[in-house]
Amino acid sequence: MDLAFTPEEQTFREEIRAWVQANLPADISHKVHNALRLSRDDMQRWAKILGKKGWLGHGWPKKFGGPGWNAVQKHLFEEECALAGAPRVVPFGPVMVAPVIMAFGNAEQQKRFLPGIASGEVWWSQGYSEPGAGSDLASVKCRAERAGDKYIVNGQKTWTTLGQYGEWIFCLVRTNTEGKPQAGISFLLIDMKSPGVTVRPIVLLDGEAEVNEVWFDNVEVPAENLIGEENKGWTYAKHLLSHERTNIADVNRSKRELERLKRIAKAEGVYDDVRFRDEIAKLEVDVVALEMLVLRVLSAEKSGKNSLDIAGLLKIRGSEIQQRYSELMMLAAGPYSLPFIEEAMEAGWQGDFPGGVTANAPLASTYFNLRKTTIYGGSNEVQRNIVSQFVLG
Amino acid sequence: MDFDFTDEQEQLRDAVRKWVDKGYDFERRRRIVKAGGFSRDAYGQLADLGLAGLYIPEAQGGLGMGPVEGMVVMEELGRGIVLEPLTQTLIAGGLLSGYAPEAVQSAWLPKIASGESLVVLAYQERAARYHFENCEAKAALAQDKWTLCATKSIVPAGDQADAFMVPAMANGKMALFLVERTAAGVSTRGYGTQDGARAAEVTLEDAPATLITQQGLTALTHAIDIGIAASCAEAVGVMDKTLAITVEYMNTRKQFGVAISSFQALRHRVADMKMQLELARSMSYYASLKLNAPVEERRRALARAKYQLGVSMRFMGQQAVQLHGGIAVTDEYIVSHYFKKLTQLEMTFGDTLHHLGEVSRQMQDMAGVFA
Repeated sequence: MDLAFTPEEQTFREEIRAWVQANLPADISHKVHNALRLSRDDMQRWAKILGKKGWLGHGWPKKFGGPGWNAVQKHLFEEECALAGAPRVVPFGPVMVAPVIMAFGNAEQQKRFLPGIASGEVWWSQGYSEPGAGSDLASVKCRAERAGDKYIVNGQKTWTTLGQYGEWIFCLVRTNTEGKPQAGISFLLIDMKSPGVTVRPIVLLDGEAEVNEVWFDNVEVPAENLIGEENKGWTYAKHLLSHERTNIADVNRSKRELERLKRIAKAEGVYDDVRFRDEIAKLEVDVVALEMLVLRVLSAEKSGKNSLDIAGLLKIRGSEIQQRYSELMMLAAGPYSLPFIEEAMEAGWQGDFPGGVTANAPLASTYFNLRKTTIYGGSNEVQRNIVSQFVLG
Repeated sequence: MDFDFTDEQEQLRDAVRKWVDKGYDFERRRRIVKAGGFSRDAYGQLADLGLAGLYIPEAQGGLGMGPVEGMVVMEELGRGIVLEPLTQTLIAGGLLSGYAPEAVQSAWLPKIASGESLVVLAYQERAARYHFENCEAKAALAQDKWTLCATKSIVPAGDQADAFMVPAMANGKMALFLVERTAAGVSTRGYGTQDGARAAEVTLEDAPATLITQQGLTALTHAIDIGIAASCAEAVGVMDKTLAITVEYMNTRKQFGVAISSFQALRHRVADMKMQLELARSMSYYASLKLNAPVEERRRALARAKYQLGVSMRFMGQQAVQLHGGIAVTDEYIVSHYFKKLTQLEMTFGDTLHHLGEVSRQMQDMAGVFA
């Protein structure tokens, strides 16, 4: 048992750090460090920089052009990116659909789709949730009916994150209404430029349109876009969900944001207020404990000796921590988090923010926005069901 | 970075678990509690397993092992809520081999390792609460002989131990001494503690003492940290068993015609218990793995760990009782004893609020496992 990373892992970390420092555009990291709004261009610029280096699919095996890193190396890469202020990689392409295409797609599909994902050229969206299928994902209704060499898709997806930028979308669609709901689901890749696809942004409580509704009205999808077998989509979706286990805790970002919270608390004069400071101290322990939990999972994955099936715990704790730091940041600024001036959340705004500290502008919006974290990806209550199933049987 | 145990560590775990399961069942424990809360016989069996010499160098008759082995052992003793204070023996081994002069080491370490002598830390003073740096005990030197005047409270197995490690002020600076229980001027008043174990008030009136080290505060701080890491590990064992007992009960107990484990309101509590257990286990690893770190880093880490463990312990104990219902507040049923043990461990070597204060005071800009 050893807490320290090996010398090789340390060297690896330093290499990553140097590369990120040299290649992450300063205007982008400035936005990330200050929770300013990121444009599509910001996100894609960083994705393409990573893509060019071969690291956008940093979890990919060598066989598919990835670096073939182990769990610890992936973690170190993610940590260095997060601490340097890199935007989160939009996961739908490289992290979510790509592993499914690798595991269950045919050679033709792999050749056709993976290069565009690896390079960051093609923007992917996720078509899972529906108005009637949130945490109960198996109840998807969006229909895909086979007609010759095509599927005709009709229905609606919702909560499609950044779907307004999407070029392709991977969808869970219903191809069979008989039997168990899980048994009639297929995994289909759909070109969002196809006739009949409509995307409508949903404005969220922070004023941003981060998610969308996507309608499919007699959309024709070539049958060759079906991944694997018809009616086996649920299996593939589960594979996808189990693929990223530690990533979901997002502990690296929370470490960065904890540091930012301290900066804000100092600037707002509450860091030396015992009642406030103790709340930060509690969060600090929460973050360290979560990091230890993540490291335990990574170590288990690396050695393969002890399996540690605690993805649900990572999701619950990670999301609670994200909500808590955003809450404390808002509370640190107190009344000066209340003005809602959208321009002040853009980089380079030169106006006079009430109270004089423009850094306070996005705090409440971030707090509002991060309420999503305990709801999405299987709500925390669903996660508790899973954890208790594991413990109680 | 590696959290796997070696084969030797797994063997050590198995050996201790086997002894706890076979040699220290709930009935034996109950008899020991009734008889005063400490069994020399049981303690001797721990020593026979080599555990008393865990932190004592092989040259002095010990096993010369480190914090990870200490953690493994304490977890297992925690599972059986063993009353005999092995934590104190780990402290004695670490402290004497790290700070005492050669003569003191060779006089005491072999006896501690064999189980012949039990040496415990007597540091708690009435006004200090958890601030052990506030010490009123006085040491005086006359004709090359030290004598101590002190009143120390809640000394584990204090009226059974053979000697005490006692911090006292010598010329305005804390030093650490060894005092034999049978020496002149030593009196003890023993009593039971909430967890069923034994403690004593220890009064020293010009009692003859042997100097362990003039670096009293450094050594005592180290001793407390060894104690924190051991208590964290012990608590993980107690919690692990607490959850197992609770799960078994919930799958058996029927209400409204079904096992109570079928109720979602209760299932979610169990999920939260599992969360606290795994956070606690993670921070117990962290505590033990930081025990040999530079002092500032060590102190910060152990405060974080004990805070997390405190939160987890209180939650686990209270939830276990609630999930059982009325049976859990009886003396007869096993879980009430786990609950009391957790409560006592939370308040040993600094409670949760105390350590929150320590974390808060020691905070730096960056925080993480490695900062």
